[in-house]
Amino acid sequence: MPKTIILDPDKCVGCGACVVACQDQNDLFPEQGLPALRRIYQIEENRADSGDITYASAGCRHCEDSPCFVGCPTGAIYRDDVTGAVRIDRDRCIGCHSCALACPFGVPRYDSDDHLYKCDLCSDRVQAGLEPACVRVCPFEALRYEDANEVQDDKERHYLGALVHGTRGARDIR
Amino acid sequence: MVTPEALLRAKVPGPETGIEVKKSICTICDPLTQCGLDAYVKDGVVIKVEGSSENPFNRGRLCAKGAATRQYLYHADRIKTPLRRTGPRGSGAFEPISWDVALDEIGRRANDAKRDFGPESVVFYAGYTKYFRPYLIRLAHAFGSPNYCSESSTCNMATAMAQKLVFGLPGAPDLMNTDCLLVWSSNPYYSGHGRAQMIDKKLAAGMKMIVVDPRRTPTTARSHIHLQPRPGTDGAVALAMAHVIIEENLYDREFVATHTRGFDEYRDYVRTFTPEKAESLSGVPAERIRDAARLFAHAKRACVQPSASPVVHHTNGVQNYRAIFMLVALTGNYDVVGGNLAEPPSYLYVSGKFVTREEEFENPVPVSSMPPRIGAEKYPVWMQVASPEAQAMFLPEQLRTGQPYPVKAMLGFGMNYRMWPDSEGFRQALEKLDFLAVTDIFMTDTARMADIVLPACASLERMELRAYGPGYAVLSQPVVEPLYESRSDVDMIFDLAKRLCPDDGLFARGYEACLDWILEPSGMTVAGLKNHPGGMAAPNPIRPKERKYADGAKTPSGKIEFVSSVLEQFADRPGIDPLPIYTPPRYSPEGDPAMAKEYPFILNTGSRLPMFIHSRVNHLSWTRNLRPTHPAVDLNPADAERLGVREGDDMTLSTPFGSIRVKANPTHMVLPGVAHMYHGWAGADVNSLFQGDYTDPISGFPGYKSALCRLEKVAEGR
Repeated sequence: MPKTIILDPDKCVGCGACVVACQDQNDLFPEQGLPALRRIYQIEENRADSGDITYASAGCRHCEDSPCFVGCPTGAIYRDDVTGAVRIDRDRCIGCHSCALACPFGVPRYDSDDHLYKCDLCSDRVQAGLEPACVRVCPFEALRYEDANEVQDDKERHYLGALVHGTRGARDIR
Repeated sequence: MVTPEALLRAKVPGPETGIEVKKSICTICDPLTQCGLDAYVKDGVVIKVEGSSENPFNRGRLCAKGAATRQYLYHADRIKTPLRRTGPRGSGAFEPISWDVALDEIGRRANDAKRDFGPESVVFYAGYTKYFRPYLIRLAHAFGSPNYCSESSTCNMATAMAQKLVFGLPGAPDLMNTDCLLVWSSNPYYSGHGRAQMIDKKLAAGMKMIVVDPRRTPTTARSHIHLQPRPGTDGAVALAMAHVIIEENLYDREFVATHTRGFDEYRDYVRTFTPEKAESLSGVPAERIRDAARLFAHAKRACVQPSASPVVHHTNGVQNYRAIFMLVALTGNYDVVGGNLAEPPSYLYVSGKFVTREEEFENPVPVSSMPPRIGAEKYPVWMQVASPEAQAMFLPEQLRTGQPYPVKAMLGFGMNYRMWPDSEGFRQALEKLDFLAVTDIFMTDTARMADIVLPACASLERMELRAYGPGYAVLSQPVVEPLYESRSDVDMIFDLAKRLCPDDGLFARGYEACLDWILEPSGMTVAGLKNHPGGMAAPNPIRPKERKYADGAKTPSGKIEFVSSVLEQFADRPGIDPLPIYTPPRYSPEGDPAMAKEYPFILNTGSRLPMFIHSRVNHLSWTRNLRPTHPAVDLNPADAERLGVREGDDMTLSTPFGSIRVKANPTHMVLPGVAHMYHGWAGADVNSLFQGDYTDPISGFPGYKSALCRLEKVAEGR
């Protein structure tokens, strides 16, 4: 199973380092009309008395069964054989926004020529043995580049650890 | 298979791409412990940055500001050559001149002022960053002026003063060995992620954390107890915690009996400060104050994580912080492992577990042998307790009145007049100077006021020494040549020394020789450090001794002081009391009820946002775009609803002294009734809404984090 970028919202503080590191990696200057490929959000519970705050960093999910990929009429969107990233051939993009209609997560963004710009999972960096730029910078390891099943294993272990620690005082889980 | 073109596009370093990774440090913010920076350099140009993995502070990571280094370094607003003003001050009309002409002019004007009005008429000011301070301090003192001053007049020095008044030697929280961390108005998840990474690790290992902060932040979200006081009421909360600790017999009786001064008077005062009283003053539920006091006092080892300025940016700031640090004394957590350990700094305020001769270097002539410093009459406690520098907050008044002596010339390194309260008034007072020279990286509004402007370079273009807590030092090397005709501030200082203090033997030997002289007791040398571009462990790191106070604390009484013998000398002055007496902020609902009727919001300015540090990266699109609107006031959604504003709506923010136009940013981060406004915006400069003397009488620090204001919706179309 290929690795992908996974967010742990419990660790994210919405600092935006991932957004800027991605812009630095990909030379995305807003003043040149180039959109950021990641965005941060501050999500507040809308209650007058409390309002818990959660932070999140959002970007392309690189879905296995990608609606944008299927919906692209010119075949500009393709899958990287090695990293599994959903990538774009910008010469083929005609700016029809079909991908925007298809993507359920609101990810696709367009440059000032209306052509799709998107995260490529830093596929070339990854193949050279480096991490995606957003993962590399994240101060709190809220973003990780991992196999989704391994992340789930960690989450399960953490949850069970908290449960058992709370009830029986045991800490180590193998 | 990745093609060479794709590798280059992906900026992968190596022989195929010709991209080299060079080591530097980031000083966009300057918390004194700087993040290591890996600069990816191709053909002499930085094409990308990452955090240095070997750096003990940031461990390979960066914040949004550091990640934006490339936009900072290559920004179009960089000053390219030395400049001489040709139009009115502030107009921005300049002509390029050569370095020799510029430095000769500065030297001549400073020496003229010295001849005609005395060396004290020349001010040497250090803003950002901090690396050149030891050299600027020596320049001022060797020239004969007592008036070296810095942004420490509003940052951290008052925190250090509060600690010195109580302990003698300030103590830093021993995070790695503590069981309970009491974070008092600090949010390192925004302001110092290296620290926050360590807190995350300690929390995972079971450390308890209490956070006192008027805002809800990522730090408060991770805490076991969050006390959310109204701004400026910290002292009330701390005194009530002490009340619980004493009444419930949770204090360290032996420590208190043996090593402290004035406990009985303190206990009698604290006895009146019930949690219920603190609740009425601060809004923090009494039961939660009890919980916090018990958790802190019951911990085997507990410590206070202070902040640089939030607690002391109040007219009652030092007294509030004394009350807070007394919790450390009360529980016997001063200068012990896991408590607040008193480690003398190695270099630039940071202990790197090595000894240097920085202080000797900075003070070739004692300031006590010179005329009184700026602010000496108004802030006498500063003069006794702070480092030997002037209190720059008094400078505008001295410029305006010429009293007690005239100030004629000023050399402002990285100076920003918007740091001062009544910032516009200070800008106008700068007109009184015969001569102003400013160094900066960018053409700022302050640089526009100068007669001579010198182009400084950024950290990636220079060499600087930094110490790190675990026993580590970095001597950064330039990763690219200084851009345009820019030079490092230190180079400018050494060239000015030839003109201002030509007889100074150490200056004459140059920067590297001075560094070697400073480093001599450490066992490290410039040549040795250069072999380790990412830094090196200090050889033979010092293991500081615990409980140094047992041989006599560094206070006048030799004891840890609940009643301050320094403050006793000035107890006849308003706002100064030897006990940590709580008084409400001067402009607050309790401090000025009449004003609060007209100005019902508590105004808190400058509380950190993750993408900004003062105004240093406001002009970068990468950081700027991380917040939807600028400049925006944060207010509670309930207040926003009452005022009929939604995100991005125009509002006016007014105090009795002025008004600015801002955008609304409703958020549950802030308490109802409190307005948080970030500082430093040209055109919406919130510091211009404060009076110049809205200061703490002990430290001179401006009360930026609690005043009163009014918020109003601007009618559409206006």
